[in-house]
Amino acid sequence: MPSEKPFEHIDEFERELRHSLERQPAPLSLKHKVMELRGPQRQVHVAGVVERRLQNRGQILSIRSATRRHSRMIWLERIAASLVVAAVAGGAVFGHYADERRRGEEAKQQVLTALRITNRALDLMSEHLAEQDNQKQ
Amino acid sequence: MATDWQPGFEQLPDFERLFDEHQSMVFSLALRMTGDRGLAEEIAQDVFMELDRNIAKIESAQHACFWLRRVAMSRSTDALRRRRVRGSGQWVEIVESHLAQELDRDSPLGSRVEALLATLPEAQRAAIVLRYQEDLTPEEIATTLGAPLATVKSHLQRGLKLLRAKAESKLKEYIRAV
Repeated sequence: MPSEKPFEHIDEFERELRHSLERQPAPLSLKHKVMELRGPQRQVHVAGVVERRLQNRGQILSIRSATRRHSRMIWLERIAASLVVAAVAGGAVFGHYADERRRGEEAKQQVLTALRITNRALDLMSEHLAEQDNQKQ
Repeated sequence: MATDWQPGFEQLPDFERLFDEHQSMVFSLALRMTGDRGLAEEIAQDVFMELDRNIAKIESAQHACFWLRRVAMSRSTDALRRRRVRGSGQWVEIVESHLAQELDRDSPLGSRVEALLATLPEAQRAAIVLRYQEDLTPEEIATTLGAPLATVKSHLQRGLKLLRAKAESKLKEYIRAV
């Protein structure tokens, strides 16, 4: 027996409304008409759009390629600059050590020369003392 | 179920696939808005031809669905305006013919509710159809219709109240007849 008040709750009414408003299938003729209207001009349009996109892609690819080349060059330049800096720094360090060694060698030679002079002076002094001893005897 | 695609340089959305996925949505929106199957079919046809012309601008499946809803609602509103300009007598005939068609369906209650929808003011009908056919939130409806959210909420409330009152009155008549 149907109720006198069919929609006691708004939810029930909304449920019924939702059920009533389910999507209906479109007539079969709709697809046929639309596909017929699309026809050949659509193919030309699609071809044009695809061509434009491919052209854009070509341009973008060439830009990307140029960008990559540029980036590679920058990296090569950076590596070369780093090698030069490393060579200069190495040379400077090596030069410093070579200079130190040379100064050390010079100092050593000076000390040896001083020792030779002292040795000679002592020898002379020794000879001189030996002659004086012989004269007294 | 909508299908996602990655927007690519040489990849265009498949029109036929979009058509198959959304034809019932577009047709149903137009039908509920105009109450005329023939006109709804014409509107759906126009909408899909418009999609075909603008398919390169479609970015995703969600965008396609949103775009189709928006254009379908807009075209339906335009069709209703054109029909109002031609004369209101025709509108009454159309509503009546739609009512007659709908009353023949299996569920008398459901068909009456749907038929009563055609008697609502246009803005309320649009909000109700998008809410209960497409299951959109008021925010989504506002975006689709390009209307303020408060207006949409008001249309939904008033439309639902009016529809409920009409449905109760008509259903009582139906129950008495049964």
